[in-house]
Formats: sequence, C-alpha cells, structure tokens
Amino acid sequence: MQSRRQVLRHSAIGFGHLAFAAMLGRQAQAAADPTAPQGPHFLPRAKRIVFLFMKGGPSHVDTFDPKPMLDRDHGKPPPFQLPDVTFAKQGNLLKSPWKFKRYGESGLPVSELFPNVARHVDDLCILRSVHGTNPAHGGALLKLHTGSDQFVRPSMGSWLVYGLGTENENLPAFVTICPTLAHGGVNNWGTAFLPAHCQGTPIGNASLPATAAKVKHIRNGRIDFDLQRRQLDLIAEMNRDHLAVAGQDQALEGRLRSFELAFRMQTAMPEIQDLSSESQATMRLYGIDDPVTEDFGRQCLMARRFLEQGVRFVQVTHSDSVVQWDQHASLYQGHTKNAAEVDRPIAGFLTDLKTRGLLEDTLVLWGGEFGRTPTAQGTNGRDHNPHGFTMWMAGGGVKGGFAYGATDEYGYYAVEDKMHVHDLHATILHLMGLDHERLTYRYAGRDFRLTDVAGEVAEGIIQA
Amino acid sequence: MNTCPPRHTCRVPRDRQPPIHRLAAATRIAAATWIAELLAVALFALVHSPVACADELAAKDVEFFEKQVRPLLVEHCYQCHSGEARIKGGLRLDTRAGILAGGDSGAVLVSGDPEASLLITAIRYQDQDLQMPPKNRLPADAVSALEKWVADGAKDPRVSTVETTPSPGSALGMSVDEGKSFWAFQPVGDPAVPEVSDPSRIHNPIDAFVVARLEENNLTLAPPADKTTLIRRVTQDMIGLPPTADEVDAFLADESPDAFEKVVERLLNSPQYGVRWGRHWLDVARYADSNGLDENLGYGQAWRYRDYVVDAFNHDKPFHLFLIEQIAGDLLPDATQESRTATGFLALGAKVLAEPDRQKLEMDIIDEQLDTLGKAFLGMTFGCVRCHDHKFDPIKQSDYYALAAIFKSTKTLGDTNEGAIKHWFEHSFASDAETERLKQIDAQIAEKKQAAASFKNASIAKIREAARAQAADYLAEAARFDVATPLTTVAAIAQPLSLHPRILHHCRMHLEYHRDDPLFAYWYQHAGNGEAGSGEIESIREHYRDLFARAQSAFEEAQTQDPKTNELADPVLAAARSALLDVSGFLAVPAKEAFAFDPETLAEYYRLMDVAREFESQAADETAAMGVGEGDVIASLPIHIRGSYKNLGEPVARDFPKVMRISTVRPVFPSGRSGRLQLASWMADTRHPLTARVIVNRIWGWHFGAGLVRTTENFGKLGGRPSHPQLLDWLARNFMAGGWSIKDLHRLILLSSTYQQASSHPQGEAYALVDPENRLHWKANLRRLEAEQIRDSILAVSGRLDQRLGGKTLPLRNRQFVFNHTSEDHTKYDSVRRAIYLPIIRNNLYSFFSQFDYPDPTMPTGSRNATVIAPQNLLMMNYDLILESADAFAAAILREPLGDDKRVQAAYRRAFGRDPSAAESERALQFVTEIAATIDGTDRQQQAWSLFCQSLLASNEFIYLR
Repeated sequence: MQSRRQVLRHSAIGFGHLAFAAMLGRQAQAAADPTAPQGPHFLPRAKRIVFLFMKGGPSHVDTFDPKPMLDRDHGKPPPFQLPDVTFAKQGNLLKSPWKFKRYGESGLPVSELFPNVARHVDDLCILRSVHGTNPAHGGALLKLHTGSDQFVRPSMGSWLVYGLGTENENLPAFVTICPTLAHGGVNNWGTAFLPAHCQGTPIGNASLPATAAKVKHIRNGRIDFDLQRRQLDLIAEMNRDHLAVAGQDQALEGRLRSFELAFRMQTAMPEIQDLSSESQATMRLYGIDDPVTEDFGRQCLMARRFLEQGVRFVQVTHSDSVVQWDQHASLYQGHTKNAAEVDRPIAGFLTDLKTRGLLEDTLVLWGGEFGRTPTAQGTNGRDHNPHGFTMWMAGGGVKGGFAYGATDEYGYYAVEDKMHVHDLHATILHLMGLDHERLTYRYAGRDFRLTDVAGEVAEGIIQA
Repeated sequence: MNTCPPRHTCRVPRDRQPPIHRLAAATRIAAATWIAELLAVALFALVHSPVACADELAAKDVEFFEKQVRPLLVEHCYQCHSGEARIKGGLRLDTRAGILAGGDSGAVLVSGDPEASLLITAIRYQDQDLQMPPKNRLPADAVSALEKWVADGAKDPRVSTVETTPSPGSALGMSVDEGKSFWAFQPVGDPAVPEVSDPSRIHNPIDAFVVARLEENNLTLAPPADKTTLIRRVTQDMIGLPPTADEVDAFLADESPDAFEKVVERLLNSPQYGVRWGRHWLDVARYADSNGLDENLGYGQAWRYRDYVVDAFNHDKPFHLFLIEQIAGDLLPDATQESRTATGFLALGAKVLAEPDRQKLEMDIIDEQLDTLGKAFLGMTFGCVRCHDHKFDPIKQSDYYALAAIFKSTKTLGDTNEGAIKHWFEHSFASDAETERLKQIDAQIAEKKQAAASFKNASIAKIREAARAQAADYLAEAARFDVATPLTTVAAIAQPLSLHPRILHHCRMHLEYHRDDPLFAYWYQHAGNGEAGSGEIESIREHYRDLFARAQSAFEEAQTQDPKTNELADPVLAAARSALLDVSGFLAVPAKEAFAFDPETLAEYYRLMDVAREFESQAADETAAMGVGEGDVIASLPIHIRGSYKNLGEPVARDFPKVMRISTVRPVFPSGRSGRLQLASWMADTRHPLTARVIVNRIWGWHFGAGLVRTTENFGKLGGRPSHPQLLDWLARNFMAGGWSIKDLHRLILLSSTYQQASSHPQGEAYALVDPENRLHWKANLRRLEAEQIRDSILAVSGRLDQRLGGKTLPLRNRQFVFNHTSEDHTKYDSVRRAIYLPIIRNNLYSFFSQFDYPDPTMPTGSRNATVIAPQNLLMMNYDLILESADAFAAAILREPLGDDKRVQAAYRRAFGRDPSAAESERALQFVTEIAATIDGTDRQQQAWSLFCQSLLASNEFIYLR
C-alpha cells in the first residue's frame, strides 16, 4: 500500500484527479486514527504556505493602499467617526511621507518603501480590506494566528497540519522561524487541544539572529552518530523485550518507531538549515550579502528550503526588541528602516520560488497583525488600526496583479469586500483544499473550528 | 379575509408603533379594486407572495416593495437571513413575520421611523458595531430605497408560512424540563451493591459493581498483578515517583495479608502525596505562574495558591470545604489568609490585560471564571452560553447572566494599572512596616531602570551631536553611492571620516524619499546617482557646511536679540536648521540600540539593563495572594445579546442554573454581597446532582487512566455517559456520607481487586473484540508516565531529586514581564526540586513538559493525552537534564565496590525495581565493554556506563507502567 506521502509525491504539481481519489480512499481507511489527516476536502490550489509576518503592524496607507485624500486633507481633523475604543488618542490626518508609483502590467501602486517587491506586483494579490477586532498587539496577534483573541486556541498552522498531515516524515510539518515570544508567544504556533504533532516547531526566536536559530536538542553534544546508533540499538532491543512482556500495544510499538524518526530528524533538520550549499548568486538574491537585509534574507532562504522539503506551513517573522513595525512615533524613520530590511529578501524569495516552479502551489502571505491609522499619533507617528488594513498573497492559486477590497477614502475602515481575519482564514484553508466548516475538532463537548462560527471564503481572489 | 400573522410577534414598543395598523385597516376597504392592477404590475409579486395578504396594501406600496425592496433583500440579505440559509443573528428577512419579529438584537424595524430602525442603522454603515451587509455597504440608491420604505410604513405584502422564527440555538438545545430527566441532572441515586455469581475477587463494593458488569458481558477480571508491578504502579500513582529498591524488597518480603494496605498508608502519609495529587488539581485549576495571552506578566503570588492546594491534599481537607474556599474563601465568617488564598482559583485565568475596552475585559474575565468553575466542579460548559442558549445542554442565557451577575459583583481586576496593562486584584497581608519597605524597593527598581535609560539617552545624544557636527560630510559622502548599495559598502565609505555607517545609509535613503525637498535641491543637482565625481562631492560638502554654519550663526545672533527665540526669519536657513535638528530626519540615529551603539556602549547598556532586571526579579514581593474580593454589587445583569455588552437585553437577577436547582424556593442573596458564598454553598450541597459525581469521577480517572465518564469536564449531552452509572452514584453517595474525604476514596479504590489486577488478560485478544477500550475494567490500563513523573523519576533514580515542599520558585517579581518586547527567556528549569515547583510560564511552557503532553494551563484539564512523537525522543537522546542524570546514575553505580555484573543488577533494580535476566545482564555488559573500547579518555568507563544508564531511563519499561 502506498503511503500518504508517496501519493502526494507522485501526484506532484498537477495534483491529478486520480491521485486525489486515491487520497480520499486512504482517508477513509485512516478515519479511525485521530492523528490521521482529515482532508483535503477538495482539490487544493496550494500545497504549502509561507507567512511573512511583519510584527507590530505595517502601515497600509504608506505601503500598498495609497490615499490621495490624506495628501489633500493633511493636518485636518478626521471627517469621520472614530471607533469607540482606540488604543491611543487620535490626532489629525497625516499624509504619507512616501510617494506611490504604478508598477507592472497591472499598474498597481506601491510606495517607495518597497521598490523591489513592487517589481513582483503582477504576482501579488493585494488584500486591501482586511480587518480584525483587537487594537492591541497581543490580542491582534492571537486573532491573526489562532482566530481568537480571548481564548487559547490552535494556531492556523496547527489546523493545517491537523487537516493535511505532513509530506516529509523526517521533518516537522509546521515550523516558525525566529518567532516573537511576546504578545501571545507560543500560542501563536501552539496546538492547544489539537494533537501534539500539530504543534509548530520554533526555530530560534526573535531575540536571536537567524544564524543562531536552531531547533532545541537536535544534537547530542557528546557523542557521534555511530555511538548514538549503537545506543539506540540497545534501547530498541530493550523495548522489544518489554513489548513481549507487556503485550501488543500501539503506544509501545509507536515509541519504537519514533526513536528512529528522531534519529533521522537529527540529520535532516541541520541539513536544511545549512545554507552553505547555496550559490553566491542566491545569497545575493536574498540580500544575505548586505548586513541590512542579511538576517531576514537568511530567514527567507531557510523558509524556501523547508518548503522545498515538503514542510506544510512555514512562518517567517520580522521582529526584534522594539516591536519592529510599531511606529507610534517616527513613522518615517522606523518604516524606512524596516522596509529596507525586508524589501530585497522578499523580492528575492518571490523570484526564487518562481524560478523553481514552487510559487504555483505555494501560497505566500505577507502582513502584520493590523495596519496603522491615517490619523497621527503625536506629531509623526501612527496608532494601531485593526479596522482596515492590507495584507497580500502571491502564488497558490490567487489572482496576481489584483487588488481586492478597499478601505474608505482615508484608509481608516475597510468598506468594500471586507475581509475579516476569519474570512482570511477561511480563504487560506480553502486554497489548501480544506473546507473551514468541515475542519473541526471535538474538544470538551464542542466542535471547534479555526473560524469559530464565522468566516467566508473570498472567492473573488481565486484564479479561475 | 385576513390571514396575516398576528402582530404580537412584533417587538416594537407600543408607544413607538407606527401607523401601519391604521393604514392597513384603511386599505382593506379598497381591496377589491386593486387586485387587477396588482396582477398587471407585479407578476413577480404574484409568484412569490400569495395574494391573500396583499389585501391590506395599496397597489403602489406593493409595487414599491416588489420592485425596490424585495430584490434588494434577496440579493443582499437572504444569504444569511432567510430560510434558504442559516439564519444569522436570529433574524429572518424573507417573511413579514420574521422582519417584524426582529432578531437577537430585538426589533429591526420601527415602521415610519428610519432613524429608530436598526435595519436602517445597519445599512447606513455609520455605526461601527452594526454594519450590514457585512462585506460591502449597499449602494446609496439602495439605502435610500430602504429608508423610504421604512419611512412609508414598511409595507410588506408577503405572507409568512412560518409564523415565528425561533433562533436556531434554542431550537436545538434541551429544555430545562427535558434536562431534568437527563442522567447528570438527576439526583444522585442510592444503588444497592449488586450480587455477583463469582464473589472470589470481590474485595469491596467497587469490585461488586465492576464484576457485575463484566459478568453481564461474560468477561472476568484479569489475574492480580505481581507484587513488583503493583508497588511500581501504586507508588507512581500516589506520589509520582518510582519505589526505591528497598521499598520493593520490603513489600516483597512482607507476606502479611495487609502488606499492601501498609504500603497504601505509607504513601498516603507521605508529603509527596500532596505534590502528586495537588498537581492533578492544578491541571483542573489551569494553574500557571504567568498571565500569558497578550501581555505575559509574572503571577508572582500564584505559588501561594499552589501551596494551598498541596497542603489541602496532604491534610485531606474535605472536598466540599475545599470547593467553598476556592469560590468564596474570602467571605467565610472565619476567613483566614489560607481561605483567602484559595480564591486564587478564580483569579488565575489568562486575561487580555492590555484590552483597551475595560467593559469587554470584565465580561471576558467573568466568562473565563464561569467556564472554569463550570468545567472544574460541575462538568458543565458554561462558556458556550455567553452568546446564546446552550446548543445541547439545558443551560439558558438567563442562567448564564444570573451567575454572571454574581461575578460582576466580584472584584477580580485591581484599580491600578501600568500604562495600558491592567492589574489584577490581590489580597494583601502586608504590615505597615512591610508596605514601607516595599516602597523603598520599588524606588530602587525604578532607579536602576532609570540608570539604564539615562545611559541610553546620553549615548544617543552623543551620537546625534557627532552626526550634526558632520552633517555636511554625511551629505557629501552620500553622493558617492546608489541608494541600493549594501551596508558593507556604505561602511567602507563612512570609515575615512568616521561617519556612522547606519546613519549614512539612512541619510542616502532619506535623500531618495525627499527629492522634492528644496533643501536637497543642490544635492540632486550635483550628486547624480551614486557616481558623483570628487569635485561634485566637495562642492556638496562646501555648500552644506556653509549653509549649516550660516544657519547656526543666524540662530546665535537671533538669540542674542531675544534669548527665547527659536525661529529664524530666513526661510532657507530656518529649513536647514530644522532639518539638522529633526531627530527622525536625514541624520536620524537608529532606534535599535544594537544598530546605534558601538560594541562597548552596547555592552554597557545591556549590562545596566540586566542589573535592573535581575534586581527586580530577586526583589521581595508583598505578602499578598491573588484572589477575588467583593466588588460593586449589582442585583441583576442584563442578558448580553450575542455576548456583547453593547447589545443588552432583559436583566436577570442572581440565581443558580434552573436545571440544577435543588429547591423550588429561591435563595435570598444578601444585599451588599456578591452572592459567591451562597453559590459555593449551593455547589457543595449534598443534594447537588453534579458536584460529588464530578470529583469522584476525576479521582477514578486519575487512578485508572480514564474516568467512568470519560469526558471529565463535560457531563452534558455531548459528554460521555458513565460506563458504570450505578458505581458512579454509589461512589458519590459514599464519598459524601464519609465527609467528602479524598484519602478515604483512594483507600477504597486502591484496595479493590479492580485496581490490583494485571495489565494483560489471558483472554485479552477475545476480550478486546468485545470491549476494545477496556471500559469495563477487565484489565489494568498500560499507562505512560506524565511529564512530571518522567522528569522526577529520572532525577530520583539518579539520586538528584530535591523533595522539599513549597515556597516561591518563580524567578520573577510579581507583575514583572516574562519577556516584554525582547523575546529573551530568562526562565530556567535547571532546578532539581519536584516538577510541581518549576515555573509554569504560559506562552512559553517548559519544552520538556509540553512535548510530553503537559496540559494547556489556560483551561481545566482532567485527563491528559499520552502521545508518542519523535521530538520526545530528541529530548531523551540529547537533553542536558537526561545526560546529566545518566551521569549521576552511572557515577552512583560505579561508586559501589562491585563487579560489573553486580553493577548491571544494581542499575536494573534502581530503574525498574527488578533484577535483570541473564540475557539482559550479558547484553548490558557487552554494550558497556564495547562502548568503553571505542571512546578515548580517562573517564571512558563513566561515559560508557552513563550511556547505558541513559538507555534504561529512555526505555519503555521506565516510562510505561504496567
């Protein structure tokens, strides 16, 4: 019998109907095993996803959502009702310090902050009407990553692993590179009540440079592989003897196998993280030759290597000790620096995915936990704005060179084709071949979903 | 002819009712004349709306509705608000009855008054909390059509087939009356102990109930477990540690009939019993040492609750008292520090501390408390009922808000905050002298933090001054390179003049973004695009040096005239000066310290930060306990429609959930008191159908690996049913009759044959077909040790475990950030005290624990998972804790003056409580010899033995209990 992994391998990019049918058959057999994948429910458009998370909340009106009315009414009080609850006191309208230019065949506007990403605009699906509910970092991060800002719930990566399983049994199916431990921390890649194998594996954290980002306990510092092999053989013999006494038992047999997997992971993980086999040209492409872009470039390159090996969900976080994109003051200085750190790596990453034919079935998601207000905070900053902001997608079956939805003329509220975070989640699951209403897990007497009781797929962004 | 639905379904207040009724009556007279017209103008209407009802309306009204209104509703609203779909918000717009009845938020229409109609508010998109349709606002002409329709009396010719529109939630859930007959809400019964045909294994009534069920299915108990297996099982079960070799020997040697009883009593009297069983309760109490969720602050006082729990178990505090103290220990007539500390149960939840909306935060906290309290003590999922009646259980929103009113009258949040972060309430036990001392400590902490901040500011000021002095150089050197130049190249350009590379880099980007700034016009005329010649570069330098110098002298001169002036008359000089002084302008110093400072400055800054952090984390806390107190008491609380405080319904008075009431006489809640004490007493009443069943089931589950009801937190409709309902009731009743003693319950269970049987049955294969999950207890369950047991057992076997009890172990001061914006984790887990004393940091659990299925400490957990995943083995193979323990284990074995075969025997006895077989012994010796031969160094014996000992610790026999 073919393994699930083999089916996925053989079906390759086309993901033919036959292979799909075979997979569904396999699913039926696996139904008794709670850790077996639950899906896909229908033909997926994307097989894997990479989330480029910009922690702190990049400003949409300064990057991908130009607002000429802000230039016109700069310095005037906002002529619209502000939300009942705002994070800080709101000032007058503040125009963008950056100019926008139109790029590509689509002619979509991108600001000066992202000249390199802009060259890929014909591959981007710019979601201009995303909105959430929570105006504080912690709540907004949790909402974006788990769908809930009030309870601990499984993260979207965990749901995807629960739904789709893994394509490479030597690697975790969900990794998050240099994640922030603040503002929800582990909950943002946590599995909550889903089975433990759905948990995201952190590689380093935001306080570490990408070069120091390692999986914990991946090597025994004392002995070489040969010696460890000998030791594992002894353990295996002891375990086989024990099995004979204790009687057949799934867990005992499973543990025998899982030692072997752990042994293989010890070589598989470091191999992927080792970038030394990459060419100089690739290193340049990702900006690893420049200290400004090096760190995020390394993260992106590592992400590509994980994706190539069949890791289902990879998150890359742009964060550091000052909440990175959180420019309550000095918007100009902060966003200039932040964009410079990620623009080239992201552009290089997109180029690389495309060259390798990965972009087609890899969904790229870019964005922060919220956007920023078109009104000023202090003299030169912007406050948090969960009411309307921009994220973008690329590849994975979404329309390129396409802008979806809109905020109002000043950029405060999403008003057109509004896309709540729940809708974003529903759409992501849909692109991955999962029906967000059918991907459920029963816990403490209730069926839980990533989208809770909400969520609608944004059909409008999906390629015909 | 009038077949219209009765109007009483409309919830519009009488005084605001529009003239639609009068109008309808008037139009009825003209009925006959317009039917023909109607047929002519509105075929659509005819198809969709039987003529019968239209007799009340004028043709133009019908036409307006059919042409302007209905198509809008169909296109934009029916997807969520019609019989064709799920009905959202309880509102149907596809029938007249539905539209008049309104939804969960009440009436949506005030005929004749668009301003007062929620329907119109929603489509106008001006209220941020109520916007429909949710994705896109309607076009302006659609909005005006609906406004006109409402203004004209909302005339609706449709006839409903559905007269009322119950919300889908209430349609699904059990009614309270139905609930009364559901097993869990029936009073605890008094079942007779059953007779069995083979009484040979009946040691106590538990066995009678179990064997009776087995006999019904033609099954038998497995044979008794052997003594070694039994003492390992019971010792791990009761104290979370393996028995020592001596304890095993003593038990094996004791042939008296009460040998096992003696072991049980020894274990029950061990202080380590409270450590093990207190930890079970901490799972249920979702205990943690930090808030987690959005802002992770240390719960520096939580340990007092933890110690309270360990102590309660060790002293066998009667469970009903244990319950009352945790819900209302502050309200007892003889309240003590201990009983107040117990209320930490209600305070330990994860809270969104930076939630800017305090009203929402308060209701979120109440929700967490009710959900926890429900799951922990009553096996009920109250959390579902915040937004709607329970979809499955007979719990109504009115029940939820009746309970919520009690907690709304309770104080959980303190009155202070730090910035955006709210403080939780604490019971202070501090003396005045202590309070004084704490003030001093606070001042010292502030001082140390200030020292770091001042150093940072001064250092940045220094860098800024230097950059300003070289402003012209920055602009000149920026002309040497293109904006996309890597920082390394920029650094080389910056070097000769000792410019700051990052500032120069930023300066170039600033120029790029300010092509239109007149100040930089000269630069752009001369710089080109990174290929300016040296002549051009020097002229840029000269130009700006001169410009900034002139600006400076003009300013100095202006100041001599008016020392207070800050303005320059000349706009060019004024602009130059303001650009120079702009802290985020072309000479902006990087905000990130690592980018701004040279290595020495950075090291000093980090040192000062560390000094402050360490001082704070070791500073004394107030003598205080997290807990709850009495708040502003309210007698009733409105139902929050869809769970939102912005959408309030009928007020409900404080009360207990209807389906669980044990008397028809309603309690009187004392005025001026929250009512928590009444709630706690009601929960602890022997007549309560759930409380005793739920705790007895938990204890059973912790002993056997699964409860009689498997869903320990849910006794509702979606929860499991008891495998042995009569046994459950007998245990619950016996438990209450015996004074709610948990230790007595342990004795009963441990001394049963059911507990003492082997983990495999001679007829196992056949039995597994009948009862694959062993719900009938025909054998003992094979069980993996829990995370803490694995760790503590490894430390115990290697002689490293510190078995002291109690005290603060969290390396954080109360309310100190675990990590705020820096993701650096300072929490250490290298203590060798028992696992219960390791910090539990929400958002960043100890990875060893989380890999071994430690429960999520934000929700009550009565039964843990036992997964098998590869990363667990990475830990067993590579983790320092294991390696160092194996070292200690090996060293202890090697210290004994024994031959190698005796050493193998000693190692087996320590790890497994038994002697190795000859084959095992030989295999071990071969391994050690072989390994020692392949490695170099003087300590290769130690290394080889350490690898062997590690193998024992990693083996299945060590971490699985038969």
